[in-house]
Amino acid sequence: MTGGPASDGRRVEDLPGLPGLGGLYVKGAAASATKRPRPGGVTLPAVTYRVPGVATGDPATAARLRAYQDLVGEPASDVLPAGFLHVLVFPVATALMVRGDFPLPLLGMVHLRNAIRMLRPVRLGDVLEVRAWAENPRPHRRGVQVDVVAEADVSGELAWRGVSTYLAKGFQVAGAPGSATAESAEPSEPVEARDFWTPPLPTGRWRLDAGTGRAYGAVSGDRNPIHMSALSAKAFGFPKAIAHGMYTAARALADVGPAHRGEAYEWTVEFFRPVLLPGTVDVAIRRTGGVVHPGERPASGSSYVYDGWRPGKDTRHFTGTVTPLPLPPKE
Amino acid sequence: MATNQPPTAAPRDAYIVGGNRIPFSRAGKKYVNASNQEMFTAALEGLVARFGLQGERLGEVAGGAVLKHSRDFNLIRESVLGSSLSAQTPAYDVQQACATGLEAAIAVTNKIRLGQIESAIAGGTDTVSDAPIAVSERLRKALLEANHAKTLGARIRPFTRLKPADLAPASPSTSEPRTGLSMGEHQAITTAKWGIAREAQDEVALNSHHNLARAWDAGFFDDLVTPFRGLTRDDNLRGDTSLEKLSKLKPVFGLKLPEPAVPTMTAGNSTPLTDGASAVLFASREWADAHDLPVLARFVDAETAAVDFVHGHEGLLMAPVHAVPRLLARNGLALEDIDFFEIHEAFASTVLTTFAAWEDEEYCRTELGLDGAFGKVDRSRLNVNGSSLAAGHPFAATGGRIIATAAKLVAARAAETGRPARALISVCAAGGLGATAIVESA
Amino acid sequence: MADKYTQAVNTGFTRTLAKRLGLPRPSLLRRHTPGAPLTVGPVLVVSDDASVADADVIAKALLGWDLDVRRSAESTAGDEHFRWGAVVLVLTGAQTPESVSGAVLAAGSTLRRLAPNGRVVTVSRAPESGDAPAVAATRAGVEGFLRSVAKELRAGATGNAVQLTGGAEVDSASALAAVRFFLSAKSAYVDGQVLPVGPSGAAVDTAYWERPLEGKVAVVTGAARGIGAAIAKTLARDGATVVVVDVPPAGEALTAVANEVKGTALQLDVTAPDAGAKILEHATGRHGRLDIVVHNAGILRDKLLANMDAAKWDSVIAVNLASQLRIDEYLLGAGVEGLHIVSLASTSGIAGNKGQSNYAFSKSGVIGRTAATAPLVAALNGTINAVAPGFIETDMTRSIPFATREVARRLSSLLQGGQPVDVAEAIAFLASPAAAGVNGQVLRVCGQNLVGK
Repeated sequence: MTGGPASDGRRVEDLPGLPGLGGLYVKGAAASATKRPRPGGVTLPAVTYRVPGVATGDPATAARLRAYQDLVGEPASDVLPAGFLHVLVFPVATALMVRGDFPLPLLGMVHLRNAIRMLRPVRLGDVLEVRAWAENPRPHRRGVQVDVVAEADVSGELAWRGVSTYLAKGFQVAGAPGSATAESAEPSEPVEARDFWTPPLPTGRWRLDAGTGRAYGAVSGDRNPIHMSALSAKAFGFPKAIAHGMYTAARALADVGPAHRGEAYEWTVEFFRPVLLPGTVDVAIRRTGGVVHPGERPASGSSYVYDGWRPGKDTRHFTGTVTPLPLPPKE
Repeated sequence: MATNQPPTAAPRDAYIVGGNRIPFSRAGKKYVNASNQEMFTAALEGLVARFGLQGERLGEVAGGAVLKHSRDFNLIRESVLGSSLSAQTPAYDVQQACATGLEAAIAVTNKIRLGQIESAIAGGTDTVSDAPIAVSERLRKALLEANHAKTLGARIRPFTRLKPADLAPASPSTSEPRTGLSMGEHQAITTAKWGIAREAQDEVALNSHHNLARAWDAGFFDDLVTPFRGLTRDDNLRGDTSLEKLSKLKPVFGLKLPEPAVPTMTAGNSTPLTDGASAVLFASREWADAHDLPVLARFVDAETAAVDFVHGHEGLLMAPVHAVPRLLARNGLALEDIDFFEIHEAFASTVLTTFAAWEDEEYCRTELGLDGAFGKVDRSRLNVNGSSLAAGHPFAATGGRIIATAAKLVAARAAETGRPARALISVCAAGGLGATAIVESA
Repeated sequence: MADKYTQAVNTGFTRTLAKRLGLPRPSLLRRHTPGAPLTVGPVLVVSDDASVADADVIAKALLGWDLDVRRSAESTAGDEHFRWGAVVLVLTGAQTPESVSGAVLAAGSTLRRLAPNGRVVTVSRAPESGDAPAVAATRAGVEGFLRSVAKELRAGATGNAVQLTGGAEVDSASALAAVRFFLSAKSAYVDGQVLPVGPSGAAVDTAYWERPLEGKVAVVTGAARGIGAAIAKTLARDGATVVVVDVPPAGEALTAVANEVKGTALQLDVTAPDAGAKILEHATGRHGRLDIVVHNAGILRDKLLANMDAAKWDSVIAVNLASQLRIDEYLLGAGVEGLHIVSLASTSGIAGNKGQSNYAFSKSGVIGRTAATAPLVAALNGTINAVAPGFIETDMTRSIPFATREVARRLSSLLQGGQPVDVAEAIAFLASPAAAGVNGQVLRVCGQNLVGK
């Protein structure tokens, strides 16, 4: 591990390559027990992890990409879907979160939302520089939420940027007086919206079998026990295994499809109740921003909203958007 | 409308000489041991017998099946070889889901119009009772891997990775691959969107049964149907059904739709899975004359359409709603110019959502690019001799059934009134597809 | 196929056994195959003195058919192994009962050496009003004589009579066609019958016999199976374009028949009011003409009269009789020229049958209407005749209980049931142009069944 210049007051530490997730989980699980809410609140490590040369041209990555595309319903292509880049850089973010000075427990954090921008297409063979850091700890009515940001450059240009927001229950922001700020913590999400949500008419139905978590675990490397089996999930308080949130978001992204999202796009997702496995999810994928007449191309700025819920119930699993972005001008 | 081209003058016309089908049978009943090839051959044989085509070398035979065994890669050609037609009659398979039969007719009539062929048969067949059963994806991959392996160990290895669940056969799914929703669920969504009432759907179903029963009793199908395997009438037909009986059926689709949607689609106002086959004889006027065959009707023009249902923009079965305005405009016709509306009843609500859309000003302006509402269909002209709700719907066979019925209807109407009569045919299909056509008395 | 018993007594061990036990031994009947000789051996033509000229005419015609014709049996007298294929007894000129003695005895002397499936055919004139008593007696006598001789014949041999009426000449087309039919294997199951033949045109040329119905368009009702299907196939074999008709529910079998005979199928209920119009429209529309109509469609609704209901009675009358009347009326009203109509009657219609009062009424009615329609059809240069089958091996008779069926089968001179093709051959003959002189007749195809006339 070598040092590097600081940015935003964070010290850059270079990793020799992508860390192995298995080892990180063992480490993270062991450390989780020691990470408890402390007086004085949460302070994030002022460090950015960097992996300067992540090669994607090797056969293993190609095979993994193909498996990922098959699983989430993306067409076979050498262009890396935004979700694949997320799983590719995930170990770097995870390495950050299992650091001893990262104050929150890896196991037990709740993935609240994710916002990813695919700014230019990344293809198999491109060499990436990956960076990850944590920022913006802020209050949540049930604890503290924190953003784990990851970026990937290709040839010195930012190609991909992902912000994963996690909730650590029971923790407090540094300097925050108790939970007094809880009410103003989530202005974007009024309480009513969560409690009185009515599903739209569906456009699709997913039947997720019991092995869905294991299958996504295999291609993503995210073998968090809550996804792997009913037994292991029960150990963490879930009645059954739950689907990876990013798997459901990736399927929705695939359902929108490459033709509709374009090469550059923003993809967001917000998670509500987990999807228990096996299970059925009704989804609605809707274009916003007007009607497209026969023979016309969708107007720029039109985007897609997607929702997932339990069929016949108001149990909402997730919602998100896919918005095409203008491609940066070619040099 | 952007796509409305002036009609291209075809070099000549294509005519419908007549049709033949076997009675349609509910899945798992009379035709449980009949294959697609047997059924289509039977439909062909009946047509050959009706028009004396034994040993005749036709221009071509086109048709297909939606549910198809891999062994049936040349289904239509094999059927021709097993028929009394000349073995020199070329053939090919077509597949456009439920629109297969109509699409096959469009293909062969275009060839006739171009002068490439003089005569043709188009049709289709489908069996749910004899549907192909596939192995699971994991077992399939294991079998392929073992097949390519060189050593015994390598041959066995792929199977060691299998789980018991992988050995269960995978039945053909009626779900849309991209949405995971069955056709019924899709239509339930469209039905909810358009707020189509249960009673209106039951009424469409009732009329279909009563109209089909009346047509059978009047001998309308005497020269359109040839019995098969001891079945002499469509066995889904319930001539004695009533609104009261239909209203007692429990909804089967759209049960989990969010409020305010109410489940309205029952087994009574939805088409059952059916087995059957149909075939229609088309010809140039010259060929028909030379063979002393009177023609029933002219196959005037056709239009196909597709809609984006994946993103919920349009209902799965709404493509004909888009096709028909384009078709009529191209031919300088309006809804009032149509004497018979032969609209495939995938579900009663398919017909009703189609009508509702055409009557909706806003929809017609924004979605169809029209100046206002497309218009209202005179219900007394709808499926006057019944349609799929009563007859059943063996996917690829439905087009041929409708074309032959429409041709006979316009021929009879023209003979009765001395004026030309027209029928509009509309068939919706999986994948957001739709095929439509105009048939006019010859 | 012959029935199992007939097969058994004609083959292998069971044949020897049957012989030893003295069981009745029905023969395997010779049936027509294209290209096979007309008769199974040489033909003897004998006559009384007054009929020599007619006998010469017939002998000459037979020679024209490539037959080995003899005018005397003398040359064969010493040959133990010689077998006659047929004997034609010409008695057209006989005026007194005494005058036929020599001829009948000469014919009789050949019968011991008549080959299996041999033929005895008499050619005589019908007794007619105005005949001198002796002439009428002589002519009538031939009928009884022939029927008795037919019963004496063994091994598939048959005896039939051509009875000239209305001054018909022996060298007329129909007289010779009738002789040829009775000599041939086509009449395998026609036995002991007397066929009146009226005047007709000049004899047809030899080429005619290959495909006598060439260029003709025939309609056969009830053609989906059994006798109807056999009729369609036989008419097609003889050159006709055949329109096969049956009720819509029989369409699957009808299709198979239509495609086999390369004809067209017309699904039609013959009891429909417009059946005649539909038939004529189809035949002329699709095939340009209509020459032959075979009314074969028929149903059975057996019940003792005491138990008969209206549905059973009415449906049998409607299908078997009323439909034929209505269709004929339409076709004749439409002025169809040269139509040959042949109807299916039945031996039940002649002799009656317990439990078949409705059926017998209809079939007996067919016979009455055939006679009455004859002059109407003749006015348009057509003919109408009926064929009355006896016990024919069909799906219908296969459903009769075994014992009853066995008795019915053996109740004829030929000791067996007939085949559908036997009925079809008789119909093809009656429908042929050469049979123009046969009108208003009922020809039984019954193996000389013991019941009826």
